[in-house]
Amino acid sequence: MAYDSASLDKPLEALKAFDWGGDAAPLQAIDAAVIAVHADPAARANLEKRLAGLLGAGTSQPVTEYVCRKLSMIGTAASVPTLAALLPEKDHSHMARFALERIAAPEAAAALRQALAAVQGDLKIGMISSLAGRGDAACVPMLAGLLAGESRTAVAAADALGRIHTPEAVQVLAAATSIGDKPAAAAIVNARLACAESLLRQGKRPEALSVYNSIAAGSEPTASFTRLAAERGILACLDTTTSP
Amino acid sequence: MVLRTSGSVQGSPRGTTRTRRNFLKATLQVAGTAVGTATAAPYVITSTALGNASTPPASDRIVMGGIGIGNMGSGDQGAFLGRKDVHYAAVCDVRKKWREDGKGRVDAHYGNGDCASYVDFRELLARDDIDAVHIGTPDHWHAIMTIAACRQGKDVYLQKPETLTLGEGPLMVAAARRYGRVVSGGSQRVMDDYRSIVQPCWAGEIGAIKSVDISVGGPSQACYLPAQPTPPDIDWDLWLGPAPWEPYNSGRCDGNFGTGGNSWRSYVDYSGGSLTDWGAHHFGGTIFATDLRELQPTRVTYHPVSADGKEAAYVSLTYPKGIELHHNRPSQLRPAKPMVAHGDAIQITGDGQPREGKPVPVYKGHGGIYGDFIECVKTRERPFRDIELAVNTMTGPHMIAIGYRLQRSLNWDVTSQQFTGDEEANRLLDRARREPWML
Repeated sequence: MAYDSASLDKPLEALKAFDWGGDAAPLQAIDAAVIAVHADPAARANLEKRLAGLLGAGTSQPVTEYVCRKLSMIGTAASVPTLAALLPEKDHSHMARFALERIAAPEAAAALRQALAAVQGDLKIGMISSLAGRGDAACVPMLAGLLAGESRTAVAAADALGRIHTPEAVQVLAAATSIGDKPAAAAIVNARLACAESLLRQGKRPEALSVYNSIAAGSEPTASFTRLAAERGILACLDTTTSP
Repeated sequence: MVLRTSGSVQGSPRGTTRTRRNFLKATLQVAGTAVGTATAAPYVITSTALGNASTPPASDRIVMGGIGIGNMGSGDQGAFLGRKDVHYAAVCDVRKKWREDGKGRVDAHYGNGDCASYVDFRELLARDDIDAVHIGTPDHWHAIMTIAACRQGKDVYLQKPETLTLGEGPLMVAAARRYGRVVSGGSQRVMDDYRSIVQPCWAGEIGAIKSVDISVGGPSQACYLPAQPTPPDIDWDLWLGPAPWEPYNSGRCDGNFGTGGNSWRSYVDYSGGSLTDWGAHHFGGTIFATDLRELQPTRVTYHPVSADGKEAAYVSLTYPKGIELHHNRPSQLRPAKPMVAHGDAIQITGDGQPREGKPVPVYKGHGGIYGDFIECVKTRERPFRDIELAVNTMTGPHMIAIGYRLQRSLNWDVTSQQFTGDEEANRLLDRARREPWML
């Protein structure tokens, strides 16, 4: 089905007044258009611009949510400034991330990092979550600075470092083993195990072994199953008969 | 130290090096030392704790808790509660009625009031005395809870469909393997309902399998239900958890098994719809019968609506070994006579060249898939529906859903867990979770 911008005039107008429980029929044309623009960059840019234009101050939660879902499919760097403006807003932050997390453009990651520095509490954890989901290596120094802070944020930062598992993340986590907060300390160990698994998959046995040895020999109180995890990792590193 | 063995989850086998009894003995010795005595013992040991001819002593029972105990969760609870080798200690649900009903069933079973109840699953998982949990929540919670449970050293029996997105699976498997946990998927029908197709396929009677047709409903839909007053007996924010905030509506969160719009199984934020719900059974049975559980599809083929408009679109998967799996393929395009069938739901055709059969894998222990899980908790073996096999199985319906949504064909690279050359398709691998929840 070819994209016809004019045919969306009425559906987009109806969308402005959409509410949960309202008539969703006009939305079907927009849904179809999002799929139809796949191979037509000009049409896709047009649709993206029209959808992003609906976002802003005063846009209701259901409309914001719907538009963000669509931009999560076709959004580009062009939508990032509009979406980024929603990141500090409690009611819209998640759906802005819903779109930004999926937009591959570096501008999207930059917006999430900028918001990470600016927001607090749950919203900050949200930024960490989306940066982890993107595997954003550039945020590692920012995450490092969060490991010794508020417990829930520190846990999230450690979890993200484990998912990003770059060499820099490995170093940051190795330097954070003296953190006293129990949940954060456990998350750091978990992240280090995740990093070691990644190293092992890459065939970097000595590097992985170093991480596992450090955990197994650590003096901090560690659950028995965590120490066992490190011991299994050591065995995997020493077992050269199996592929990583 | 436990050595790696084939098919093992590499945990600490009960009855060998790290039994509860050994642990307690060590703990008591430490406690005794602390108070200046050589040993310490309880003043009274009850007959329940000691066990008898038909009930193992408490030290040999698996201590379990249940998270999400309405509908399937209550069924799972009943199955575990009825086992003599399980001590059921706690329930968790965001709905007060289900929480109280669940606790009531446990307390009635044991004749006491000891079952703990929680609104927040994290409190249940924080208990050191709980060995294993069963999870029967809506699908949008499965990955987060399973990973959290593994990180707390718990074994997990997880209702199907085990995943909501393609991106969750590898992280769940990694958590299970990292901590040596037994994580079993929860499709009891895979073994129990599909023997008529499993036996001839594994016996080699139909030769090399060529095509499979599965008939089951389609993907989940967007939810636009209106707001209703939130009842006082549900923690709505915790029910939504990682899903986008939406207003309460009973049809949005009802746990009934329908997918027609009056249950969470209908909606994309919480479920994959019939395709992954009943599909978990049909795909599970088929993937088991065709011995594809360790593999993932490599291609998704979208077949548009026929030129005359009479035939609906359908999607096919190509698996290694040259097996084609079709979802809702029009009947006139199917082989005239499938060699084996499970009613109209599953039809399998081979090349007709019988070949050497192989033994069909069976449950361990006794008591169906529940017994298989408990046996594996004891032995640290991998269960019949090990999480990795379940994740592989669920890649099929998830990819089919993406094929329908994008209305085009796709190639899947198993190693990178990415679609090849389709950036939009890769956007659908996972989704942002509502703060503060993350994988």
